[in-house]
Amino acid sequence: MHLKGSHQFNAPAHQIFKMLMDADTLARITPGVSELEATGQDTYKAIANVKMGPVSGSFSGNLEVAEKHEPESFVLKIQQNSKIGNVAADVKIDLEETSSETTRLSFDGKARLSGLLARTGQRVLSGVANTLSKQFFKALEEELENLAHQPA
Amino acid sequence: MTNYIGKAVKRVEDKRFLTGKGRYTDDIVLPGMLYAYIVRSPYAHAKINNIDTSRAEKMDGVVKIYTGKDIAESGINGIPTGWQVNFKNGDTMKEPPHPLLVADKARYMGDGVAVVIAESREEARDAADEIDIDWEELPAVASAKKATEDGAPLVHDEAPNNKCFDWELGNPKEEVDKAMKQAHHITTLEFTNQRVVPNAMETRAAIGQYEEATGKYTLYTTSQNPHLTRLLLCAFVLGIPEHRVRVVAPDVGGGFGSKIFHYAEEALMIWCSERLKRPVKWTSDRSEAFMTDAHGRDHISKAEMGFDKEGNVLALRVKTHANLGAYLSTFAPCVPTWLHGTLLQGLYVTPKINVDVTGVFTNTVMVDAYRGAGRPEATYLLERLMDTAALEMDMDPAELRLKNFIPPFDGVEQPGYQTQVALQYDSGNYHAVLKRALEMVGYEKFRKEQAEARKEGKLLGIGFSTYIEACGIAPSAVVGALGARAGLYEVGQVRVQPTGKVSVFTGAHSHGQGHETTFAQVVADRLGIPLDDVEIIHGDSDSVAFGMGTYGSRSLAVGGSAIVKSLDKIIEKGAKIAAHKLEASEEDLEFAEGKWTVKGTDKSIAFGDVALTAYVPHDYPEGVEPGMDFSSFYDPANFTYPYGAHVAIVEVDKDTGHTKLKRFIAVDDVGNVINPMIVDGQIHGGLAQGIGQALFEGAMYDEDGQLINGSYMDYTMPRADDLPSFEIDRTVTPCPHNPLGVKGAGEAGCIGSTPAVVNAVMDALRPFGIKKDLEMPLTPERVWRHMQS
Repeated sequence: MHLKGSHQFNAPAHQIFKMLMDADTLARITPGVSELEATGQDTYKAIANVKMGPVSGSFSGNLEVAEKHEPESFVLKIQQNSKIGNVAADVKIDLEETSSETTRLSFDGKARLSGLLARTGQRVLSGVANTLSKQFFKALEEELENLAHQPA
Repeated sequence: MTNYIGKAVKRVEDKRFLTGKGRYTDDIVLPGMLYAYIVRSPYAHAKINNIDTSRAEKMDGVVKIYTGKDIAESGINGIPTGWQVNFKNGDTMKEPPHPLLVADKARYMGDGVAVVIAESREEARDAADEIDIDWEELPAVASAKKATEDGAPLVHDEAPNNKCFDWELGNPKEEVDKAMKQAHHITTLEFTNQRVVPNAMETRAAIGQYEEATGKYTLYTTSQNPHLTRLLLCAFVLGIPEHRVRVVAPDVGGGFGSKIFHYAEEALMIWCSERLKRPVKWTSDRSEAFMTDAHGRDHISKAEMGFDKEGNVLALRVKTHANLGAYLSTFAPCVPTWLHGTLLQGLYVTPKINVDVTGVFTNTVMVDAYRGAGRPEATYLLERLMDTAALEMDMDPAELRLKNFIPPFDGVEQPGYQTQVALQYDSGNYHAVLKRALEMVGYEKFRKEQAEARKEGKLLGIGFSTYIEACGIAPSAVVGALGARAGLYEVGQVRVQPTGKVSVFTGAHSHGQGHETTFAQVVADRLGIPLDDVEIIHGDSDSVAFGMGTYGSRSLAVGGSAIVKSLDKIIEKGAKIAAHKLEASEEDLEFAEGKWTVKGTDKSIAFGDVALTAYVPHDYPEGVEPGMDFSSFYDPANFTYPYGAHVAIVEVDKDTGHTKLKRFIAVDDVGNVINPMIVDGQIHGGLAQGIGQALFEGAMYDEDGQLINGSYMDYTMPRADDLPSFEIDRTVTPCPHNPLGVKGAGEAGCIGSTPAVVNAVMDALRPFGIKKDLEMPLTPERVWRHMQS
């Protein structure tokens, strides 16, 4: 499954990059993630509950941040396993400053599904992924706003 | 009234089926029974580095967990295949082992790796979730063509380029190439005959029962083929004594081929029961059925047909890559070869034919016989070529066929027709079926309507398909020479009880075909007794002497003929007893209406009295044994060859690409008909299935070998409102070589209908000048995209 999308934020790239590297923030803003625990430099253990189309499941596995080029890009490597099947994804995230105060975040990657997850309702999954990424962007936007309103 | 042949008798089995009183494998509950859940690979191709069952073993209700390693260590064999097809150079086909559970690596998504046995189904399933498997994913290949390319992932190390065999039939390729060079026109098509999921209403199930006190084994299973399953189970897989093994296939809710084969789960349940000394049941859920029932079709073909200036066919050249899946299922090697290549003569006098088939392993579930098995693939290829050629040469598709048909022959006065591809057709009048279909369509009138509709911008189309199939499978000596590892005769035993009631034991298995009615009609008619006095018994290896099961539209042609042979023996013996009782000579007797009568007198004795005499032989002819019970093996002299002409009329929605099937006309010749209502039902069901392939169905694997439409949310089945009221008729050309003159009707509808629908859509799209072929299923999206291209 191809994952692709982008969103414009009212924040500089380095601020967004920093936020995305913070496990606590990431756990807060990623839909379905209930636990995100750093297990090493740029590696995390993640637990998520996600409803994907007709199937839902409790996923657990690893996240890894690779090919870090602060503040321009990084690659998120995801391996999540569940009783209903496994997800493996490599997603490249690019941060492009469109002005001094705005940044376009775009992601492009591929997710590979297996088991029941692959077999059932896969054709609705791109829609689900779309919704999840929108939720993620919205949450990130809110985090950035909160940060802006915090006293320096 | 005892004249039953040709009568539309209502099915005697319907009472139990329609009131929910059928008894299926999963309905059987045995004392002390355990439940099995099979842990399957979520990956199409992956190494198993480690399996940790420790947590699962501690779960509530868990009795035992076995893995592929336990199976390997027990030293049993894997699942065999029943047919051998060799490479062109004479090398034996590649036949890699197919273990009951894999220990080293999984080769398709759904390959079994462990079995959890627990006190309840739910506990087994919950525990299965707690098994930790360390998988190492490997690159996978799902397409038969890609699998043969250099560098493709290898499903089995011992099969280079994933080739199981390559095989050729017909005239030498040079002769065909030469004929092609002389052709005025060559029509070429390249297409996929897509993979379909059998979708029987009842999913597969198996119960293994080993009784320590007697040393006896019983397998209850959803099989079309209980005796063959027993033979494979005993002689090839487990090495257990055949005389202590009973295989029961009770009511079975549809098979369509997918329940012919001996599956790993059947042997596994017996193996587990023997170890645990308790019965063990496994029942497939629907999701499991999608990924583990043997699928059908999946051919990638290039087909070329050469014509002379007048439209006479000169030659046919076919190259097919047949997907066999990850392992060889029971009939897998035979389907794309001897059931496909041999049918490429079709109904035409094509003088030169060469067919070349490569059987290929892929990381997908096994592919095997599915309603029609090879013959629909051959028919699709020929009939798409015919309609496309007619379009390209600007000829009428019906005229082109009539011009090329084999002339009529009855197989009695005129000899059978020897094809270029090994078969000898038994009898046929091919012009008659197409002419009758054209009459039913009102062909000339339709073409005028179509022209009018086109003026109004409506996309109306007509598609033709004529087919022939080889049924009544099969003469043992012939198929033995072709690589079959079993004879394909049938057994029929007729036991007349002392009261004159009749029990019939047949090796054919009924799972929706209505044998309990049709076979009873044959028996009641021949013996002149009421239908209610006949009971048909099948599906239990302890009751029925032997059998080869139901597939290849063989039950009546082969199984029915075996019963007729036994009936002849009953009547012959009855005549001796009757002659004694009537104090007449046998030659002076005639048998009709259920009694023996001394010709020209009113002296007679009824069948029931003769039966009673046979069991109470106080006053009895000398040298005649008591009792009335005969068993016969019938090995057919040839295949039977049903044929027909199907016509589809469709309207394609210009804006959405949706195809509406407006009319479907089918004229079939299945030889003599015993029960026209059952034959009609078989034709209807077959048509729905064939139309389903044309418009709706198709298993889709992604490039990682994941089946991505393995549920009814994702896989489209035809529904009643997708189909018109079928217009069907028959011609009758009896089979000259079996006593009933029958040819078989179970698969006909599924063989002829698919290309007729596709041809109709292509005809409807003609105003767009579309030359490129459309791939099945013709979903609205595909049709719409073609209209836009």
